[in-house]
Amino acid sequence: MSLSYQEKCLWLMFVTLLGFFGFYFAMALSTSSVDVRPQQVALFVLAVVLMVIAQVGGHIVIAILDRRFRTDERDRLIALKGTRNGDFVLATGVFLSLCAAVVTEGNFIFTHLLLAFWVVSQLVDFASQLYLQRRGV
Amino acid sequence: MGKRGDRITNEIRALRFDQGDMTQQELADRVGVTRQTVNAIEGNKYSPSLEVAFRIARVFKVPLERVFQYNDD
Repeated sequence: MSLSYQEKCLWLMFVTLLGFFGFYFAMALSTSSVDVRPQQVALFVLAVVLMVIAQVGGHIVIAILDRRFRTDERDRLIALKGTRNGDFVLATGVFLSLCAAVVTEGNFIFTHLLLAFWVVSQLVDFASQLYLQRRGV
Repeated sequence: MGKRGDRITNEIRALRFDQGDMTQQELADRVGVTRQTVNAIEGNKYSPSLEVAFRIARVFKVPLERVFQYNDD
């Protein structure tokens, strides 16, 4: 069965999020520091801007190629379940980041831990939706 | 889907063929859902809302029970 419009969008979000933030973490974590440096902030902003451009461009291409785009009740239910799964991860990450903020020096570790868990929660959200699109809900 | 999916079955595929080989896309367009949703309903991977269920029955011009069956055993 070919990919639906929703599945194509989800794959786009999943791959761009993984790609651009994977790049950011690979660059930012290659040097250790106590606090977040201005270069890392600039790298983060660059990653976000490039990711947004890639996602907007990708959605435009998908919409042009798949003119029968429509979302229905099943898509909305799957989105809700994906968000719920992602929220479990995000809540865990917030808690662990707060613990890290208390026990570690500076803001480098807790900032990147929080960001990492946000990225993972989004990936879990998209992966859950892709799984439910295929398996059924 | 689990138990709920096993209890509710449907005759949508047979009704589509009875209606002059209606495609899943045609049914989806008339009901207002995606073709993937029609496919999921036919494969018992998704139970539609009451509104969608009634719309499907109205497209085929048959009672709801002719389209969907509930097995309570």
